[in-house]
Amino acid sequence: MKTILLLEDLPEIRAWLRKLVLQVFPDSQISESARVADALALVTAVKFDLALVDLGLPDGSGVDVVTKLRDVQPETQSVVVTIHDDDEHLFPALQAGAFGYILKEQPRELITEQLQRISQGEPPLSPSIARRVMAYFANKAKPQVNTQLVNVSLTDRESEVLLRVAKGYTLPEIGVQLGLSRHTIADYVKQIYRKLNVSSRAEAALEAQRLGLFGR
Amino acid sequence: MPRRRSPPSSTRLLLSIGLWLLAGMLLALAPPPAAAQALHIDSALSAEGDDSRFPEGAPARTVALPDDWSRSHPGSSGPVWYRVRFNAAPAPQADDPLALLATHVCASFEVQLNGHVVHRGTQMDEPYTMDCDHPQLVTLPAALLRAGVNQLDLKVVGYPLAQVGSRHRAGALSALALGPLPQLQARQRWRTAVQVTMPQALGATLLLTGGFMFVLGFFNRRESHLAYFGALSVGWALLGARLWLRDWPLPQPAAELLLASLLPLVTWAGVQFLLRYAGARLRWVDVGLPLQALLMPLSLALAGASWLYPLVTAWAALLALEAVAAAVFHLRRQWRGRSASFWLMAALLAAMAVSALIEVWAQRVSTPSMLARLAQLMTPLLLVLMGLRLVQQHGQALRQAEAGRALLEQRVREATAEIERNFRQLSELKIEQVTERERKRIAADLHDDLGAKLLTIVHTSENDRISTLAREALEEMRLSVRGLTGRAVRLADALGDWRAEVVSRLAQAGIEADWSAPEDLPQTLSARAYVQTTRILREATSNIIKHSGASYCSVQCQVADGDFQLVVQDNGEGISSEADGRLDRGHGMATMKQRAKQLQGQCLVESGPGFGTVIRLTLPLDRALEAS
Repeated sequence: MKTILLLEDLPEIRAWLRKLVLQVFPDSQISESARVADALALVTAVKFDLALVDLGLPDGSGVDVVTKLRDVQPETQSVVVTIHDDDEHLFPALQAGAFGYILKEQPRELITEQLQRISQGEPPLSPSIARRVMAYFANKAKPQVNTQLVNVSLTDRESEVLLRVAKGYTLPEIGVQLGLSRHTIADYVKQIYRKLNVSSRAEAALEAQRLGLFGR
Repeated sequence: MPRRRSPPSSTRLLLSIGLWLLAGMLLALAPPPAAAQALHIDSALSAEGDDSRFPEGAPARTVALPDDWSRSHPGSSGPVWYRVRFNAAPAPQADDPLALLATHVCASFEVQLNGHVVHRGTQMDEPYTMDCDHPQLVTLPAALLRAGVNQLDLKVVGYPLAQVGSRHRAGALSALALGPLPQLQARQRWRTAVQVTMPQALGATLLLTGGFMFVLGFFNRRESHLAYFGALSVGWALLGARLWLRDWPLPQPAAELLLASLLPLVTWAGVQFLLRYAGARLRWVDVGLPLQALLMPLSLALAGASWLYPLVTAWAALLALEAVAAAVFHLRRQWRGRSASFWLMAALLAAMAVSALIEVWAQRVSTPSMLARLAQLMTPLLLVLMGLRLVQQHGQALRQAEAGRALLEQRVREATAEIERNFRQLSELKIEQVTERERKRIAADLHDDLGAKLLTIVHTSENDRISTLAREALEEMRLSVRGLTGRAVRLADALGDWRAEVVSRLAQAGIEADWSAPEDLPQTLSARAYVQTTRILREATSNIIKHSGASYCSVQCQVADGDFQLVVQDNGEGISSEADGRLDRGHGMATMKQRAKQLQGQCLVESGPGFGTVIRLTLPLDRALEAS
């Protein structure tokens, strides 16, 4: 039995999502929340396997909940469920530790499939997100003055997969091109997500430390 | 420090001009060769008496000439008679009449030759004509001369020393010269030049330059030293007023009091000039000097006419001390301040001190000597030089101020231009920021409000058609928002996005997809062109999936002749001719064409039953780039 957090402010959509989740994970226990504050309180009290988080909420951003989950329940899978399909909105959530995203307006069948894939460890990755991740790591690869910076870099294979995703190839296509199984490619994507999160967190910690040092 | 050690060139120039002037003046005034034939008379029989004849009955005694009444006739207020006897022997050629020259007669005299009056001063009653500075030349008519011994009687009127402010105006008679008229005329001319003309010329110059500088300094409060210097010059020129006006309509004591009152005024101006020129301003001096200028005439008036000379001497000593103190103060300030004028001022003040010492000495001895006369010329000359220097400095300051003002104006112009430029940039930036913010706000509103409602319809509607329509509307809205807020998109990135969408959709529909596109395209698309092309491609893909029944689809992209070309070809049923009427319905062909047109491109659809469909989209890249 799975415990699932559902953070969505629109009641109709929340009901629809609930139905959908129950369809994919029939005997799961769902905690619903319409506000960031409620969700943050829930996160500290209840242990979740999966969290479906909307981004734009009346009292804040779902990214905060993703961050909090990453801190207190690292093994929880956070999935952003949003109407925004652009990387401007998605990238911060992915950096905060979201393990994939689902676009709300997609047909039920597609969402169901994506949800299943995510729970099986195969997160989606669009070309624009892939480009954003590439730019992020390329920027980090530049010589840094600060040696304290935790150096998380992508392997050649991971970079290769990212590049191909950015060019518009689907994961199965990339698998064929590299002579690898679909699961292996999915693992790479998972690694990329993980590294993005780890690196972002290290960077944020360092930034906080720097601000603390100089703010004194 | 080193700069101060060596006087600046302008100072040197001025000093040398002064020296040359002085030397030239002395040369020009060189005394004529000693008159060999003139008879020098340095003693005379002297007696006091107010008659029209030499007082025969009064006690007479022989006095040496020059004769100073304060020594030979202490306390006497005259008139004093002098009798000289001479032989007509020195009579020259018959053409040259005989003449008598007295270089200093104070205040005026009458000459009688053998009992006949041959000369009389303009005013022989009080107040006397003041002829003290004017050398007197009296022609002795040949007709009155006797063979053998002749007798000259001189009646000198004047004031006792105690009643005048300067020994030069006290009753006295200089040595006499008797000789041929032309010879003595030459000597008189020279004497007049030194004693009268030169002082007058210098006085006039001082009056003019002083007046000019006073006005200059008066209206230019930051250069108050100029005003004081002008006052000093004018005051000094007025001290020589006796040269111009020998007959004053005033009684003697009043005239002397008036002249003496000038001294503290001149000192006031001089001291203040020295202080202000050194950049100092002392409150007690500001008050003390005018007070002194009032006090001195008051004390003189109270003491009475017979105490004038000793009082004026005492006052003069005090005033001189003040001047010396001011000079020392000035030079010390200038030295510390490393002023460029130090050397010039030091030289001028030293020269003035020398001439003042000579004057003091001249006041001690009897009738003024030649040296004293020349020393009297020194001070006005130095004042003129100093005035020149001040005017030069003023001119320099004016030029510097002018240059500074020009520089300032230039700076202001530059700064203004800079500010205007910055302001323009800032306002442009601001407009851009505001526009961007507004776009983002509209985008967020659309997402939050319209998006949420459409989404609710998508997921709550029982009707498949309605939820599909709502979904499409949502997609459209999102693309619109992206076109609203988006920046230019790299063509390579756009191709990646399109490929991912088209290929995955076709793959889900079980249609084999063949995508071919060049890599590493450097061109960019405007956000609008990107969005419109995305819509066209999405529509085409939907048509293939929904209507064509195709099993294969190829998409070819290329850039040629500045155009971006996209060819989508399927192996489906095609669009039958009888379907022409409803070609646009459901298939959205017209919309696709419309969108291409908006981007100055075109969208051609070739289709026939059984031959599949070919959609050719051509967009001019550079214009697509601009259309944003």
